[in-house]
Amino acid sequence: MLQKERAKIALEYAKQSGCDNARVTLSSATQSSFTVRNNQTERIHQSKSASLYIQLFTNDRYGSFSTNRMETAELKKFIEEAVRVTKLVTPDTYRSLPDKSLYYTGNGKDLEQHDNSTSKLEPSQKNQIAFDCSSEIYKSDPRIISVNSEFSDLDDYFYMIDSQGFEGESRQSSFSLSCECSVKGKGESRPEGWWYESSIFFDSLKKNEIGKTALERALSRLGSVKLKSGKYNMVLENTISSRVIAPIISALNGASLQQNNSFLKDMAGKKVFDGNFRLFDNPHLVKHAGSRYFDGEGIATKPMAIIENGVVNSYFINTYYSKKLKMPVTIEGPSVPMCKYSESPGNNPSGRDLGEILKHCGNGVLVTGFNGGNTNSSTGDFSFGAEGFVFENGIIKHPVNEINITGNIITLWNNLIDIGNDPRTSSRWLIPTLAFENVNFSGI
Amino acid sequence: MTDTYQNMALFGVTIENLNKILATALSKGGDYADLYFESSKANELSLRDGQVNSAGTHVDYGMGVRVLSGDKTGYAFTEVTTMEEMIKAAKAASVIASQNKSRIDGFPVAQILETKAGNGYYPQTKEWEHISVSHKIPFLQRLNGKIFSSDDRVNKVMARISDSQSSILFYNSEGVLASDVRPMLSIVATCIMESNGRIENGSYSRSYRGGFEFLTNSLIDHIAKEVVASTSFLFNATRPKGGQMPVVMSAGSSGILLHEAIGHAFEADFNRMDTSIFSNKMGEKICSQEISVVDDGTIPFNRGSINFDDEGVPSQKTYMVREGILESYLHDRISAKHYKTNPTGNGRRESFRYMPLPRMRATYMENGKNREEDIIASVKKGIFALNFSNGQVQIGAGDFTFFVKSGYLIENGKLTQPVKDINIIGNGPEALANIVAVASNNIIDDSTWTCGKEQYCPVSCGMPSVLVNKLIVGGNE
Repeated sequence: MLQKERAKIALEYAKQSGCDNARVTLSSATQSSFTVRNNQTERIHQSKSASLYIQLFTNDRYGSFSTNRMETAELKKFIEEAVRVTKLVTPDTYRSLPDKSLYYTGNGKDLEQHDNSTSKLEPSQKNQIAFDCSSEIYKSDPRIISVNSEFSDLDDYFYMIDSQGFEGESRQSSFSLSCECSVKGKGESRPEGWWYESSIFFDSLKKNEIGKTALERALSRLGSVKLKSGKYNMVLENTISSRVIAPIISALNGASLQQNNSFLKDMAGKKVFDGNFRLFDNPHLVKHAGSRYFDGEGIATKPMAIIENGVVNSYFINTYYSKKLKMPVTIEGPSVPMCKYSESPGNNPSGRDLGEILKHCGNGVLVTGFNGGNTNSSTGDFSFGAEGFVFENGIIKHPVNEINITGNIITLWNNLIDIGNDPRTSSRWLIPTLAFENVNFSGI
Repeated sequence: MTDTYQNMALFGVTIENLNKILATALSKGGDYADLYFESSKANELSLRDGQVNSAGTHVDYGMGVRVLSGDKTGYAFTEVTTMEEMIKAAKAASVIASQNKSRIDGFPVAQILETKAGNGYYPQTKEWEHISVSHKIPFLQRLNGKIFSSDDRVNKVMARISDSQSSILFYNSEGVLASDVRPMLSIVATCIMESNGRIENGSYSRSYRGGFEFLTNSLIDHIAKEVVASTSFLFNATRPKGGQMPVVMSAGSSGILLHEAIGHAFEADFNRMDTSIFSNKMGEKICSQEISVVDDGTIPFNRGSINFDDEGVPSQKTYMVREGILESYLHDRISAKHYKTNPTGNGRRESFRYMPLPRMRATYMENGKNREEDIIASVKKGIFALNFSNGQVQIGAGDFTFFVKSGYLIENGKLTQPVKDINIIGNGPEALANIVAVASNNIIDDSTWTCGKEQYCPVSCGMPSVLVNKLIVGGNE
């Protein structure tokens, strides 16, 4: 393949320019999107792109470069200049390619990450899918102001080689269909609802009920009121629950640990969270987006228990931070994080879905959307804007908005009530419905 | 001085080439087409653990073809500017016209009407192209030294200098030929401090559309001083009790309130689609007569400034709200045509990979007549919001948020307990109507603000100190 040759040429240029070691990554993508608004095609976007990334390790120095100009003369000039620039920075003896024994060496079973339908689908067919999605609801309710639907597809190729002999490639496809619906609310308010489905395989993409779900979600926001400040049980819908996992993933990262900027520093092997909290990485999940056999350094991925019964089991350590922290290399970051409730005796082995969790919690606030906010990476303190629904005796009562949720990530996860059994398979991260008690909600 | 023909040579095209691509783009009909060429080079230099130990350069090159047919857009781009690839892109973009059965078949392409050279708001005296890494390293070393020597609680410093230069060539079916060179400098410093087992982190940044002449020792010293001060502040700060209360927004970065609460809602694409909470408010009084809100692309060397937008429209200072009256939305060509008005120079895009959308530039509120100390003194119990990090808005519902990194409690008209890490949420039109006092101390904030509406665009914001008499503040019970 021509693209592989480009990457090999780039690696050779780096060596010829006096570079000790190098890693070259080539990624190329073909993508399109078709947007329909109120049953009229609004936008068509089609593109092909390719970029070459090159990391240089020379004289104990490091540089990271990229270009999408891959004509031979341009590439040669670019790499020669990159090597020259790299030699100007301060030596950093921790920079190197990985230990070769950690490389993925091939022979894994097919993770089924690609469907070649992208090249077979006609633009008119893609446009029709978006149109059908919009048509599900357009003019179906007098309160509808606007319906926006979009079909998009992506065919992504990735090839990586380095000067130690690593060579790996992968190809992913993605088909997505989404709908956003705006409805007339009280006064000038125009609440919105959205829904999307995504799949590696065109035939597996759910193509109906997306518009209807978006409309239902928009209408459910009508009559929103402000919440009285207080401590409530909080249930996070599976569409947004990853928001309270992301700060943990970030705090487990080697860069955060080494820079003394992690609320989980020095916590390895310690019970930090509720004993029922389990977080895994499952990088070899067949037919699931994000599955991969090697990371950005070529290091072989493997299933990992990240948090085991509330205990911090593993950090995300790449070669650089392994040397700086004097810790073993694990992996640069998660591929397909999954979250589960402890399967200890006495717990429901099949878990609960959203409805059952609401019943289990009795009263509280079901959060269905976050709006801004942030987490302090050093302390784990967070404050998020949110919207959702008040529920009583397991039944949703009314929508609420303009609420702030404030707390600390470690404290929150020690107030865990339940982890559901219902992650959205459309998402790379498989984080289901989550429930916590005693959460600070600020409202009126 | 930017040379349009020099940029044409850079992309290897002639006027005849450009006309041929446009003719292809409009071959199936359509009302308008444009071509956007971009060649960008961005450099990064990073300091970590006391060493300037990572460098990088990122090159992005290509062109995009856009076809408009009524409100509809066809867009395609290519990273290779051969005629063959550009014609392919033009054909892909042209599909939109056949999709929408445009009434115009084979739009006549005009000849050159206007040539614009982009040297107005950000002329460089020392272009980044000619500046070596070795010229920048001493600035990062100075920054590191200054931060460490300022406070013995400093534990780690991370810093980065990013510079870029983009050469732009634009041509459209109205015959507008424009070129520009857009520089950018950004410096970000993050400081980690540790004291008695407690760790706090703070960041401070500055960004300018300018050349190497902006990278000075005095700028470095200012950044060092501010990042240490803002991190040190956090050791004494606590979380306040949450709830609805008055909030005094300090001058400068509190302009994020304008960006999130009302700026996005004034972008005309949301209004054209009738999804903005301000869709039916044009010409109406929406806030105090003391308030005028501007989106300005003409501030010299400002991060949000542009000589012309990414649709070839000259930049301008646009009053969105003048003396309390909603006067103008922020338009691109599509929305301007829809509203039968002139575009306001807000059609912006992240790169040639994206079609332009109505986007803000530098959004700020003009000065009022009050003094900040009098505004604080008027509040019995509330929050004084000092530093901000990020924000978000829901356009239709109007709910917006911004994250306050640091501030103070106001008790009986005085600043008392330092506070930190709280989110503030409100509703755009309500918050605007609830601004009851505006100070005369407007500051345009030069931080590395980047707006993420579908694509990333550099922007800036500013505001004098204001009192919003009712917002919901996150905090403890």
